[in-house]
Amino acid sequence: MAQVVELSAIVPVCDLKDEEGELALEYLDALRALGKSFELVFVLDGEHQKLRAHLERHAASEPEIRIIQLTRSFGEATALTAGLEHTTGDIVLTLPAYDQVESGEIRRLVDSMDKFDVAVGRRRRKDTGRYSGGIRRQLFHGLVGYVTGHRFRDLGCGMRALRRSVTDEIPLYGDLYRFIALLAARRGFRVVELDVTESSVSHHGGKSARVYLARLLDILSIVFLVRFTKKPLRFFGMVGGILFAVGSLLVSYLVVQRLFFNVALADRPALLLSSLLVVLGLQLFALGLLGELIIFTHARDMKEYTIDKIVN
Amino acid sequence: MAMDLSVVVPLFNEEDSVGALYESIRSVIDDLEMEAEMIFVDDGSSDLTYTRASQIAERDRRLRVVKFRRNYGQTAAMAAGIDLAAGEIIVTMDGDLQNDPRDIPKLLEKIDEGFDIVVGWRFNRQDKLVSRKIPSLIANWIIGKVTGVPIKDNGCSLKAYRADVIKHVPLYSDMHRFIPAMASIAGARIAEIKVRHHARKFGESKYGLSRVYKVLLDLLTIKMIATFSTRPLKWFAMLSAPFLLLSTVMVAWALADLITDGDLSLPIAGTAVLLGALGVFLLFSGGLAELISSTGTFEVDRMPLLTAQEVALPGRNHPMDNDAVEDT
Repeated sequence: MAQVVELSAIVPVCDLKDEEGELALEYLDALRALGKSFELVFVLDGEHQKLRAHLERHAASEPEIRIIQLTRSFGEATALTAGLEHTTGDIVLTLPAYDQVESGEIRRLVDSMDKFDVAVGRRRRKDTGRYSGGIRRQLFHGLVGYVTGHRFRDLGCGMRALRRSVTDEIPLYGDLYRFIALLAARRGFRVVELDVTESSVSHHGGKSARVYLARLLDILSIVFLVRFTKKPLRFFGMVGGILFAVGSLLVSYLVVQRLFFNVALADRPALLLSSLLVVLGLQLFALGLLGELIIFTHARDMKEYTIDKIVN
Repeated sequence: MAMDLSVVVPLFNEEDSVGALYESIRSVIDDLEMEAEMIFVDDGSSDLTYTRASQIAERDRRLRVVKFRRNYGQTAAMAAGIDLAAGEIIVTMDGDLQNDPRDIPKLLEKIDEGFDIVVGWRFNRQDKLVSRKIPSLIANWIIGKVTGVPIKDNGCSLKAYRADVIKHVPLYSDMHRFIPAMASIAGARIAEIKVRHHARKFGESKYGLSRVYKVLLDLLTIKMIATFSTRPLKWFAMLSAPFLLLSTVMVAWALADLITDGDLSLPIAGTAVLLGALGVFLLFSGGLAELISSTGTFEVDRMPLLTAQEVALPGRNHPMDNDAVEDT
């Protein structure tokens, strides 16, 4: 039975974890220092037997620690959602399951909840004081900023503070939890990025090609989510229209050559390319129309706006 | 709470005009013998619009103020006001004092005559000629031609609606420009009357003329939805028919060539196959469209039913008329 608390800290434990559960005690100290009633919930995504044993041992003496076990590994988004469903605190704090950010930074994020609805960390190095993350992170965030119009600099930071109203409103399926700050900003919540000190032991695992692919797909999904939602035909129509225009120009060029300059069409691959472009353009356009139809038939249910207050 | 009239006004950074706006609307609805409310929708203003409006709302219970969390645009603001409105008749107008609330009684008169939507026409529009009036003239002409609803001024915000019609018309993105066109799909009776238009007193024009591209695509959407109000498969089938036909002819041609010359014309055969593929794709898109429009919460083909009414016959009580039932 969950008691009423002001702050719920959720630690989704996926691949990267601290086996000994030492982080739990560290977080516990930092949270106690805030002077708010809180719960510290570990969501075990998959079997983490060793960690679970340690946590259970800690929980015996620390009543704030709670453990939620998922039946198998579902991914971080599901772990977070499960954590949200089992907690009640008005302020939600997500914490990385491995030593990523100094636990002392929790206070700054939680304090900023007076003025903001979402606070996300931006990691900077302890030794040099410089922002961490190389050119790749900058490139990723630059791209995200370009397509969405919202500039963030460290969406991947695992330490975030959110109001419950934010998590209630924004669905977190797939990998979208990573973009929660961005989605919240789009819905008109007040979002702030705060500098946090990276742990000195923070381990950057070697990034595989799979991670890059996943990030790229993240960007793609955010593009669709942002561009699509209201007017799909504008997006599809633009891409389809360009392909169609290029294709038709090429076709007419080829036809003019065939008719007036007697250049045979038979051995020209350009013909195939251009007619394919025309067909593809029209297909994209048709898809855009289908999208419009979906929006139109559902527009009555999807409120496009979010209301802050109503007087009288 | 049942109301007779709701006046919906979207506001975006109108701190200077909100007071005057309230006064002018209030003086009009005070003279009307109607239960009326005003709904001011603050579309995420960055100035004191909301503060000033809510101060007025403290004095006058008839004024409701809605505050958006951020700026969502004029259509969304109108949609929110319309969603919240309790009146049987809903009047929308601009928040920049360019519309004149004194025209509201004229609009209501037309509604009483039996029209579902009354559209204002700013016949002496007080805006810049080249940047506003000429593009709007062209846009209105095109919209009228394509939708078949010849309205001289689609962009005028001052409109009156019967609530049961407007509350069922999907309103999103920039669609407010097409409300009359969409409502006419629903069979609404539309009237257009001349309204006053004043030059801007405060601030800059905020909702500039949208780019042509967007309006044209919106128009295409409306046209598509309007034409296939019965069955979308038919619309897509019509679209795919010329491609399928052309493809069949070209295949036949290529085959004839093959038989007579013993030589297959690759360009013709290739193009034929591609066009055929496109035709099939469009046909199946129609199938998908059919699925969407029948599972959607708003069925396009139900739109004309919004305005269906039983004709009152002499000597009979109107079955839907509760007063008549009570009398007998």
